[in-house]
Amino acid sequence: MNRETSPFRTPSTGASPTPKHASLTASTNLRYSLTRKSIYDRHLNRTKTSELSKSAFAFLFGEMVQHAQKKVYGVQDLEKKLNQHGYAVGQRFLELLLWRDGRTAKRETRILGILQFISHSLYRAIFQKAADTLEKVRENEDEYMISDNDPLVNAYVSVPKEMSQLNCGAFIAGIIEAVLDGHCFPAKVTAHTAPSELWPGRTVFLIKFEPDVLEREALRVGG
Amino acid sequence: MSSASRARLGEEVWKTRTDKINAELVTLTYGSVVAQLCKDLDGDYAEVNKQLDKMGYNIGLRLIEDFLAKSNMQQKCANFRDTADVISKVGFKMFLNITPTIANWNSDGKQFSLLFDENPLADFVELPDDGKAQAELWYSNMLCGVIRGALEMVQMQVDAHFVSDLLRGHDTTEMKITLVRYIDDELPQDDE
Amino acid sequence: MVMVIMAIQLTGINRVVYAVLILNKAGGLIYQRDFNPGLQKLSSNDYLILAGTFHGQVSLASAARAQVHAITSQISPTNETTSSGLEVLESENFVMRCFQTLTGTKFLVFAEPRQPNLDVVVRRVYELYADYVMKNPFYQIEMPIRSEGFDRHLAAYIKPHQ
Repeated sequence: MNRETSPFRTPSTGASPTPKHASLTASTNLRYSLTRKSIYDRHLNRTKTSELSKSAFAFLFGEMVQHAQKKVYGVQDLEKKLNQHGYAVGQRFLELLLWRDGRTAKRETRILGILQFISHSLYRAIFQKAADTLEKVRENEDEYMISDNDPLVNAYVSVPKEMSQLNCGAFIAGIIEAVLDGHCFPAKVTAHTAPSELWPGRTVFLIKFEPDVLEREALRVGG
Repeated sequence: MSSASRARLGEEVWKTRTDKINAELVTLTYGSVVAQLCKDLDGDYAEVNKQLDKMGYNIGLRLIEDFLAKSNMQQKCANFRDTADVISKVGFKMFLNITPTIANWNSDGKQFSLLFDENPLADFVELPDDGKAQAELWYSNMLCGVIRGALEMVQMQVDAHFVSDLLRGHDTTEMKITLVRYIDDELPQDDE
Repeated sequence: MVMVIMAIQLTGINRVVYAVLILNKAGGLIYQRDFNPGLQKLSSNDYLILAGTFHGQVSLASAARAQVHAITSQISPTNETTSSGLEVLESENFVMRCFQTLTGTKFLVFAEPRQPNLDVVVRRVYELYADYVMKNPFYQIEMPIRSEGFDRHLAAYIKPHQ
């Protein structure tokens, strides 16, 4: 299980808490210290409540944005890169969360269920607060919105005017996308700035599900 | 300022003047950065090390202001031993909530090691099993750059590099920091 | 902790801050913001002159006197360098606090004469700078500061007290 969270592994998608082939990957050429504990000896919950400074994250995230910016053409491309980083983080967070829920872990099978899981459980685990709203887009059957009044990743980010379309919350959109994918609800998730008077940094994550998801949902409702 | 009062300062800044977040978010985000570099650079780990150091350097140039503003330090360190103490007890404490052990001073007091008993960046990490990552990649190399960049802004040119890492199967994680020189003139700093 | 308490106490004080300026390590003016029309508005050029004055090894008091003369008459600067690295320039019309960080960045706060605890104000501005300028990935080091977050938080800190 510990292997699944390593950044160099691709975690198994799907909500199954035990990857099928975990036991088959035992042979390794990696060296381990004989005197110190390896990641396999340390409890996965060890860091569950650990904290680091918001500054450390802000600097890391800022440099990630700057680095990504060097190799992209335009805002969309930059958001895609940030989305990819978030996706990698989301995949691993999902594994951790489900593992930690243990036997009480539930496989969400309905759209509303998975969206609530994201805006409450996942959001709380990562950001220590629930998302601010969860809404259905009225005009479009396949679209939902999760909003965050003050996304952690944007706390210190001021987007220049010439890039006003950019929202670095694309990183969080990537996290959400990974968790949806992991539950077999493939969707495209994008971040949009939607300021309110009180919350200048308010961000809406627009979730657009693939047609299959809606078809399946319709079958469930029907049955 | 004594070593003990620095430890107290570090604790105080961490406890009362630091906004905190979930450590795993930082750990996993750092992991994503390293993994992406390994992919982008096609497993050229020497180049990955270089890029991580460079990214850290850019962070260090900025992070120093946050460090000074929050710690309220207004006096230059009297000597390099003090600098080492401040890096470990105040710097690492306030950003990563760890205080690496200072060890292995050389005779002229210009080189020491930081021993990382804990390294939040490396939680959950196992290097790729490709027969070379464990020999070539310094996973936490960004930290070296951060120290290099931050100290440069307070007129110290240093060299910082890892000499061992638990992730490579070593028994310690050790970074060596060497004072190259004190920078006298104000050089313009470029944001690389 | 001490800082936090002091900041809270300050909110009860009628504090009038005229302007905040930031100079980069090379002495260039990278930020200038006026908060109060109370001080006869200095032109950008005046600010640049002041900015230049505080850079380099020029004696603070004498150089400032020469330059500020063009702006206000009847000036009697007092130059005091405290252990905290703060420098003060006081005239009948305003008081100016200059704080130079260990990296060489300089923060200048202009306020109504006899304002108490201006050093607290300067330090808070430094913290806001560390947060909303240094942590903004779109800010290029040493360049003029255009950061909506910094403007907003600086105004939120300075203005409610006026």
